[in-house]
Amino acid sequence: MDLNYTPEDIAYRKQVRTWLEQNMPKTEIRTLEDRRAWHRKLYEAGYLGMGWPKEYGGGGARPMEQAIVADELARANAPAPTNSLGIGIVGPTIVVHGTDAQKKRYLKKILTAEELWCQLYSEPNAGSDLAALKTSAVDQGDHFIVNGQKIWTSGGKIAGWGLLLARTDAKVAKHKGITCFLVNMRQPGVDVRPLKQITGSSEFCEVFMTNARVEKGDQIGKLGEGWAIAQTTLGYERGGRALARITNYASHFSRLVGAARRMRRHGKPLIEDPVVRQKLGRIWSEIEVERYQALRTLTLLERGEHPGAAGSLTKLSYSELEKRFMELALEILGPYGQLTEGAPEEFQLEVETAVAEQGSWAYAYLWSRAGTIYAGSSEIQKNVIGERILGLPKETRADRVGGKA
Amino acid sequence: MNFSFSDDQVLLKNSVRAALDEQCKPEHVRAMFDDAKGYGEPLWGEMAKLGWLGLPFPEEQGGAGLGLVELALVMEEMGRAAYPGPYFATVVLGGLGIMLGGSAAQKDTWLSAIAAGKARATAALLEEQLDWDPASVTATASRSGSGWTLSGLKRFVPWAHAADVVLVPARSPEGLSLFLVDPKASGVTLAPMVGIDLATRWSEMRLDKVAVGADALLGGPGTAGPLLESLLRRAAVMSSAEMLGAARRCLDMSVEYAKVREQFGQPIGSFQAIRHRCAEMLLEVDNSHAAVYYAAWALTAGAEDAAVASSICKAYVSEAARKVCGDAIQVHGGIGFTWEYDLHLYMKRAKALEPLYGDAEYHRELIVRHVVAAK
Repeated sequence: MDLNYTPEDIAYRKQVRTWLEQNMPKTEIRTLEDRRAWHRKLYEAGYLGMGWPKEYGGGGARPMEQAIVADELARANAPAPTNSLGIGIVGPTIVVHGTDAQKKRYLKKILTAEELWCQLYSEPNAGSDLAALKTSAVDQGDHFIVNGQKIWTSGGKIAGWGLLLARTDAKVAKHKGITCFLVNMRQPGVDVRPLKQITGSSEFCEVFMTNARVEKGDQIGKLGEGWAIAQTTLGYERGGRALARITNYASHFSRLVGAARRMRRHGKPLIEDPVVRQKLGRIWSEIEVERYQALRTLTLLERGEHPGAAGSLTKLSYSELEKRFMELALEILGPYGQLTEGAPEEFQLEVETAVAEQGSWAYAYLWSRAGTIYAGSSEIQKNVIGERILGLPKETRADRVGGKA
Repeated sequence: MNFSFSDDQVLLKNSVRAALDEQCKPEHVRAMFDDAKGYGEPLWGEMAKLGWLGLPFPEEQGGAGLGLVELALVMEEMGRAAYPGPYFATVVLGGLGIMLGGSAAQKDTWLSAIAAGKARATAALLEEQLDWDPASVTATASRSGSGWTLSGLKRFVPWAHAADVVLVPARSPEGLSLFLVDPKASGVTLAPMVGIDLATRWSEMRLDKVAVGADALLGGPGTAGPLLESLLRRAAVMSSAEMLGAARRCLDMSVEYAKVREQFGQPIGSFQAIRHRCAEMLLEVDNSHAAVYYAAWALTAGAEDAAVASSICKAYVSEAARKVCGDAIQVHGGIGFTWEYDLHLYMKRAKALEPLYGDAEYHRELIVRHVVAAK
């Protein structure tokens, strides 16, 4: 056990930090084209697609190097690149399950953000029970015709392509009739409508597909393998963001402490209030414990092991912590915390949000409610932990009666 | 960067578990409830033979020269077995205290004797107001000839009745000082303090003009503050390791029970109400594991954040262990509330350690002092 960074890792971090000092955008990023330009600069420097194999344009980098880059980007409060789903999920899926032709056609353009991607998984009646999805893909000989509605599609507005799960066989058990496709979003049969969230912004979209066309060559894997493929893609994040997430929390925490120094209660600085101190101490402990856990995950990844179901513990832990943290932040900040406009500088939060608008505490608070729902709700994570790690028996489920699934 | 155990550490953990599974079964723990001394000499002798009693001490004093990660592995197994005896008191409180502040002669005398299984030790860190801040000590030490005279009242001294030497903080004219006191010396009165964990023994220790020699002083007069803070950090992390072991045992028992106990025609573990509770328990145990071994490493390596990591560890694990052990009783239902079932052995061990060496609120205040100063 040695929790010091190696001299190589320290040198690498320094190199990334220097690069960022010299290359951070000088002006605010306003348009998608500005962001693409920043994305390409990061890619050309070797800081995007770092974990992808070299033969497909990736960096073949170690997990620790990926974590360090993400962490330094967070530390510098650098603008986010674009195409996060393309790089994080779609590309790796094509690398593992795609044909040579698919790899040649799509991978490089994902890395350079020439083509932006979204993920077409959830449906209005298939959320936690994703395998219940109803969108159909019907074989027409040289192509498929797709009909159905998808929801919670991040980046659907800007995406030219989508990774789609659709039902190709309604007669077999629900997990076995799903196939994975790549679908062109820019066609008449695909209608994308922004979905306004409680934050007031629209990171997500609804996607309506009416007789949309998918080419035969854009089927990923075999017919009926879609569920298995989707299960593996959920594991691609691989802890690369683990340190960066903690760095973001730590920077939020610093600003919160700064605000608590300026505010007063009963004539005394709020930071001297023992109740407030206890609450801050609790959250800081939890943030640090997340950092220790990130180091454990990185140890596994560096050895080439996959955390597997333990990823559910990580996701459950940080998403629930983020809610508690933001609840505390708004409690301490009082009505300042609810401001989306007009907050004095010291009561603002200087971070980029998921849609790359300037952040506010109010926005971060509202956004924290999403984390325990997306990518498997906390309840689903607890089921996974209970069944796959602790080996507890599965529940009796109505859709399993008859032994079908 | 490597946050995992070495092969040697895994070997140590396995051998400690195997020995305790064999020699510290729940029947043994229960047998010690009514034992006059409260612990078994045969197991103590076995621990000396296996090298556990000198584990963190230098090799010159018969120790194994290992670090706090290894000691935490042993403590975790002790908690898992609800080991009844003065291991923590002797090796952590007494042993590490002497190792941190003792002269060469004091170390030669005591560490060698402890490692060989011939002496037991402890420390009297708490007075009646229960303030862990070393600055709060009110016991006094006055000069008397070449030696000292000590007076004061100490509470919750672990295993004092079995100890050959007790580390006693007292205020001398120079400031806070630390003395080695024989609990059988004239002027020392011990009275048992019986808590809910009958496998742990505490004493009230009254010192009434107890005469000790010049060689009883540990470190220079007036220099005990930093030494006690260091010792307290180690005690906080090692007691967290013990709580972690107790919590892990409670989780394991709950999961096994939830697989076999049937109600409404199916194992209760198939109900989400139970499964989700077990998942939350695992999360607390897993986070506690990270907190304990990070802090143990940080203290051993002298890392910059060792002090705050120790406080984070004790604050986190104290509450996590309480939750996990309490939830274990809830998962078990009625059987978990019976004396006959073993769950309460581990639950009470964790509860007994929760307020010791600084409770969660004490340590959270230290954490905030640190982070507010840094930000």
